[in-house]
Amino acid sequence: MAFSQETIEFIKKECQRYETRRSAILPCLYRAQKEDPNNQVTPEAVAEMATLMELPEVQINEVLHFYTMYNKKPVGKLHVQVCTNISCSMNGGREMAEHLCKEFNVNYEEVSSDGRYTISRVECLGSCDTAPMMQVNDKYHENLTKEEAVKLLKDM
Amino acid sequence: MPKCKINGQEVEVEAGTTIIEAFKKLDSEIAHYCYHPGLSVAGVCRLCMVEIEGNPRLQIACNTVVQDGMVINNNSEKVKETVKWGLDFHLINHPLDCPICDQAGECELQIQYMKFGQYDPEMAEPKVKKNKVVDLGSKIVLDSERCILCSRCVRFTEEVSKTNELGIFNRGDRSEIGTFDGKPLENDYAVNTVDICPVGALTSKDFRFRQRVWYLKNKETVCPGCSTGCNVKSYYNEEGLFRVKPRQNDEVNGYWMCDKGRDTYKFVNKENRLLEPKVGQSGQWDSQEVDGVMSVMSTKIDDAVKSAGSDKVALVLTGQYTSEEYASMLSYFVGHLKSKNVYHWVNNPESFDEFDGLLLRGDRNPNTKGLLNGLDQHGITAPWSDLETKLNAGDIEVLLVAGPEDPSVFPTLTEKVSLFSKAKNLFWMSAAKTEAADSATTKTWQIPLKTYAEKEGTFVNHKGIEQKIQPMVNIVDCAQTLSEVASALSGQKVDHLGSLVKDRKTNHFINHHGGGL
Amino acid sequence: MEIKLLSEHYDKPEFQGLDGYKKLGGYEPLKKAFQMQPKAIIEMVKESGLRGRGGAGFPTGVKWGFLPDNGEPRYLLCNADEGEPGTFKDRLMMERAPHQLIEGMIISAFAVGSHKGYIYIRGEYNEPTAILQKAIAEAYDAGLLGKNILGSGFDFDLDVYQGAGAYICGEETGMISSLEGKKGQPKLKPPFPAVQGYLGKPTIVNNVETLAAVKYIIRDGADGYRKHGTEKSAGTKLFSVSGNVMKPGTYEVPLGYKLMDLINIECGGLKPGRKLKAVIPGGSSAPVLTAAECADATMDYENLAQKGTMLGSGAVIIIDDTNCMVDMLKVILHFYHHESCGQCTPCREGTGWLHKIVSSIYSGTGRLQDIDLIQQVADHMAGKTICALSDAAAMPAVSFVQKFRSEFEFYVREGRSKVKGAVDAQV
Repeated sequence: MAFSQETIEFIKKECQRYETRRSAILPCLYRAQKEDPNNQVTPEAVAEMATLMELPEVQINEVLHFYTMYNKKPVGKLHVQVCTNISCSMNGGREMAEHLCKEFNVNYEEVSSDGRYTISRVECLGSCDTAPMMQVNDKYHENLTKEEAVKLLKDM
Repeated sequence: MPKCKINGQEVEVEAGTTIIEAFKKLDSEIAHYCYHPGLSVAGVCRLCMVEIEGNPRLQIACNTVVQDGMVINNNSEKVKETVKWGLDFHLINHPLDCPICDQAGECELQIQYMKFGQYDPEMAEPKVKKNKVVDLGSKIVLDSERCILCSRCVRFTEEVSKTNELGIFNRGDRSEIGTFDGKPLENDYAVNTVDICPVGALTSKDFRFRQRVWYLKNKETVCPGCSTGCNVKSYYNEEGLFRVKPRQNDEVNGYWMCDKGRDTYKFVNKENRLLEPKVGQSGQWDSQEVDGVMSVMSTKIDDAVKSAGSDKVALVLTGQYTSEEYASMLSYFVGHLKSKNVYHWVNNPESFDEFDGLLLRGDRNPNTKGLLNGLDQHGITAPWSDLETKLNAGDIEVLLVAGPEDPSVFPTLTEKVSLFSKAKNLFWMSAAKTEAADSATTKTWQIPLKTYAEKEGTFVNHKGIEQKIQPMVNIVDCAQTLSEVASALSGQKVDHLGSLVKDRKTNHFINHHGGGL
Repeated sequence: MEIKLLSEHYDKPEFQGLDGYKKLGGYEPLKKAFQMQPKAIIEMVKESGLRGRGGAGFPTGVKWGFLPDNGEPRYLLCNADEGEPGTFKDRLMMERAPHQLIEGMIISAFAVGSHKGYIYIRGEYNEPTAILQKAIAEAYDAGLLGKNILGSGFDFDLDVYQGAGAYICGEETGMISSLEGKKGQPKLKPPFPAVQGYLGKPTIVNNVETLAAVKYIIRDGADGYRKHGTEKSAGTKLFSVSGNVMKPGTYEVPLGYKLMDLINIECGGLKPGRKLKAVIPGGSSAPVLTAAECADATMDYENLAQKGTMLGSGAVIIIDDTNCMVDMLKVILHFYHHESCGQCTPCREGTGWLHKIVSSIYSGTGRLQDIDLIQQVADHMAGKTICALSDAAAMPAVSFVQKFRSEFEFYVREGRSKVKGAVDAQV
């Protein structure tokens, strides 16, 4: 899949935005992920980015594989990231994550059969006073119970 | 210049010198995996820890600059304990598969383990699983579980070859070396990554499983692959050569060599060699004795000179031989035959002046400069076209050709042999067994020559730096050097060779091994 | 009692926009700063005693003083990569008061002579990023950013850069690597960022709260700021309190405030029937305090250092008696194992090793010698690497094992937690 014209323009612009083209790798990877139908960054996308940005593929690939917010495999329409770090674990974050997997019949990091859900356990999201909480795509949902989380996701 | 004390020994160093360099200057031992003098400092293996008086925290020697008056040690209990643990951290996820690892015997992990360790690993939990036997293309295989992530290979492809194939992907103890999307690591310098890999993570496909390194000897020599003349070590046993690795020479090659140069061991070995003299033409050949061929050559030359003058005899030289050999051949021609009928065969004129910007030069001969110096000294200037004209006119009775040692750098070999076949008698001298030579259509004597691994002598590189090679193996007993040929032709004993050329160095190898001529 | 200096107007929605912010006194300190000599501002910050609020607590004015006078361009980077587990005060600050940070950055940039700044914000913080971007646009429109700010002749450009999920980018050189478009791996020091930072140029990296506080130092003067806090820990601090308390949240109190007051007064105490077991006072990397140690603890750099722990990022995690300390440590070590960047061997291998040892105790297959091994491994990780992540994993491991050894021993012997019902789920 080749990038859309808008994405190509975006990448070119980001390459001008910072002191070096290399700094544009992180924002451009986000863009590539957003454009991907499976919400991931594929090797083809990395190769296309490398050409557009005139950077070695390996530099982009290193960045892709270092940061956890870039998906290296397909992710459901709703990427549900449940914090299981210390304060959330103390307040039922882990149980909530387990519950969601059961409820949507999906293993962690996999896509539910209807393509809607991927459940991940993630590290601290900086919302410890509202534990347990989850991030669904870009948004935080805080002060949850397991049941509320399920309802919220079903209603999305 | 700052002075410091290392383990009680005083040393003075240039300003800006790091502690690890100061250790090296003293030849004092210091454990390290990620430091490499030809690469940027990574400071990640954390093994080169030193204690500096007045600093409660141990410092890494590779990233700490010597300050005047520093008192440094790496033999206190505190440092030893840290290095031991540093080694332990390297080993807990390492497969410890030395018995089946090709690096065994020259593995830095093994060496440090023998020094500090020899204990059972502390970790009771399962090791991290990573990719094994990863094919990185035609030259290299990767075993990620053995990799200690020192990042030398990555820094090499980034900083030296500037080809950026390798990266470290993922993070923490899941980190792995790799290429993007399985692309091969195929640049012309790729195998340097195998040399600098301190463990058995990157191994050379060409060398792996062929020999245990402790069964190989090595000698310092010069790569004959091009006019750069990279300083190398060749590894051999009685069967022949097995591999070539670079050794440091800041003036010539730094720490590296190209992958083409690494192949130069192959033409030394028996399977690629002309094993005995032979006579014949057009694919029909009979074996000969060396002495017999030498006397035929001598007679043919004498006859041609006597009947038609020395103009009827010509000599073709390539840049593949030592300066000493050129000196003897040219003395014979100019001094003995009074002929300047000598021609320089440029094997690849189209790409001769190319340079890849790092080490590899288009002049794929080790000693073109030495040859040109020799021709110059004797005032030999005849262009190649003269030879062509004479051959085409049938004016050459006897042609002596010192052909390729490495035929792979002679792209127009067959073409040239067919040109040389226009001489009445062709004496083809070469280390190599080639179809091209066998296709000669005039009466031809093939005489096996010695390779750079079987003789002593000098190569002059493109910058004019004279470098010595030395013999390490004897693959073809009857093979000759050009000097031996020259002395046989001039009727001189080898012992008297010294008088033939002024200031000529004695060829010890001939004295030792080439008797009986 | 809370002293709301920075957070005074956080409950007013209009404080987020430029107009409301100005009405509440915003950008007045900037005008005052422009009347001062940059050197005088640096001196004032030094005198104020402000120390870095991100975790290390390094004196801010001193850090600024490390910049070389070599005419090279300088960068001012705001560290908004808030990732230390338990910390969430920077998020609140950026959401409620983006202009407070922007103003603090302009003043700081003017002081250190920087004309380009970035706010490096963690990738998950999408909402704060959007709010900051909007505020920056407002500031440009109002002539508060860009060329010749408010006619002062001073130029300053500011941009936001989003990380992508890596705790290590909160380490200042890791952050610089990331901003350069690389893996967020910390750089060797020396050279320090003030000498060679972003793209090899002199660079100052300060936390959100630190930069915002600069505004109040200008407004109130060094003495005015020093009125709050203690001799060596001047000013107020925003504490992120989470865990087992009735009212977790962000509270601004003067440094030197009693930990038990923070728990009992600001946070409404523990849940009925629960007993305090432990407190992690400065984010998950800070050594844990037992309930007994908490009794006389005050929230300042010196007191916590005396108790063998640290103020860190001001993330206070309250642990009551329903929690199993083996479980807690496992969660913490999972985090550092997950987040180690992988370049230095002791950290790369050690974080995984520690996590595996505690996990095997947790799953009932631990050995008694593992408890001492945790201590040994941690000892040889600490202080041996490029950055402090290795220490951040080692410190909680050592303190948990030392202070709650009986729980670890019980777990090894019995194959289950000493705390009833704590880890039934085994998740």
